[in-house]
Amino acid sequence: MTNILDDYALMSPLRQQNNWLKLAIVLFGLLVGISSTSPVPSLFIALCMSFTTIALGKAPLKLYLKLLLAPVGFAVVGILIIAFFSGSGQELLSFKFLGYPLSVRKDGLELALLVLARSISGMCCLYFLALTTPMIELFALLKASRLPESFIELSMLIYRYIFVFLDMALSIRYAQTVRLGYSSFSRSLHSLGMLGSTLFIRSWEQGDKLFLAMNSRCYDGKMTLFEVHRPVGTPELLLTSAYFFLTLALLYLTKNASIV
Amino acid sequence: MHIMEGFLPTPWWQIWFAVSIPVILFGIHKLNRLVNEKREILPLLAVAGAFIFVLSSLKLPSINGSCSHPTGTGIAAIMFGPAISAVLGIIVLIYQALFLAHGGLMPLGANVFSMGIAGPVVAYLIYKAGMKANLNFYAVVFLATAFGDWATYVTTSVQLALAYPAGDVLTLAGFMSSFGKFAAIFAVTQVPLAIMEGAVSALLFKYVVNVKSDILVEMKVIEDKVVKKLKGISA
Repeated sequence: MTNILDDYALMSPLRQQNNWLKLAIVLFGLLVGISSTSPVPSLFIALCMSFTTIALGKAPLKLYLKLLLAPVGFAVVGILIIAFFSGSGQELLSFKFLGYPLSVRKDGLELALLVLARSISGMCCLYFLALTTPMIELFALLKASRLPESFIELSMLIYRYIFVFLDMALSIRYAQTVRLGYSSFSRSLHSLGMLGSTLFIRSWEQGDKLFLAMNSRCYDGKMTLFEVHRPVGTPELLLTSAYFFLTLALLYLTKNASIV
Repeated sequence: MHIMEGFLPTPWWQIWFAVSIPVILFGIHKLNRLVNEKREILPLLAVAGAFIFVLSSLKLPSINGSCSHPTGTGIAAIMFGPAISAVLGIIVLIYQALFLAHGGLMPLGANVFSMGIAGPVVAYLIYKAGMKANLNFYAVVFLATAFGDWATYVTTSVQLALAYPAGDVLTLAGFMSSFGKFAAIFAVTQVPLAIMEGAVSALLFKYVVNVKSDILVEMKVIEDKVVKKLKGISA
């Protein structure tokens, strides 16, 4: 029963840690990662977050690498554009492609590597949160942040429906595939239309039923969540401060450094 | 594609947050009013939100397996208008960032602007104009969702080009050249994908009109006589 990241988060030992602390660590990583002008602090953040997720959070290494690989692929496509088309300094590499001259310049390459490092650090931070904190815990944070009641209610309902949808979508898709529904392009288009509309209407009906069931049990838009009080222990506090301090030091030291 | 974590440099992610937040607040205000008026609409809202999530996670038959995907926001825009779509958009984007590391928290403002605001506004305007011009309902839905999808990707290209203009300094020429490149790379997959999304949305509305047309009429999405005409054709 481990279909999505939330399932791993529910089993993670770091789940028992204070949610605000985890959120602070993630936001700190994101902010420093994006404001660093050299890839070194970003890569340091990525390394620390990965270590915490795998060693302390007990996320399977294989899964983690697989998770990281997909967005890194997208990032590489994005930075290739930056590498080729921005920058004005010294040319490092140039060749002709279909008659167009393409060249990688020094500062273009530097910018591309920096952006790649920032993306990786950001993704490691997000995966740390995703793999150690189940959504249920985050709802408690949302409640505490005093966002409008209807916004939170809608978020929770959407969260519930994502699972209704995914279950139904997978089984319908399986049934369609078995009946050769995706054997040709026009067929897959037709199957997808059927899948989409059936999914929409069925989930809608199921949603109506759920709502009716909740209303008949005196649901008035306020779902009370059970929030566990989890104090921050000394080891966590020390580790986090050391991490914050080291990252800020690296950020300061690499302020004017150049890598290429 | 949503812009990834770390991809937007420092001034830009704050700027896009500043642009998006007022719209989101207005959307929440409208949402509050709608929910207070008609609580029974909530399941439908949630279904539309979850639909956006699933549609942008389900793999479509794509040509080169690139990072493009349908947005799914056109349907929400047609049903609830752009302001509420923006609220649905931000919830979905937060979930995608936290579940799938698709998008991110820092570029959230930029992503909300492209997927939750620009796309739905275009879809909504096209839908309203098309219905006023008395065009076929399904054709209008097709056009609205397809153009809404393109608007999302054009906006994303604009955001990327503003952040990474050619020649490092933000000039009009540098912006245009960089914009052309980002847009061209997106266009390879997004032109067919948007057409497909339009077709799927039109098919979806066909089933919804057949089964649950009363709610669409009640929400003033389409008029009663249009439903009767459509049912007359499809029956």
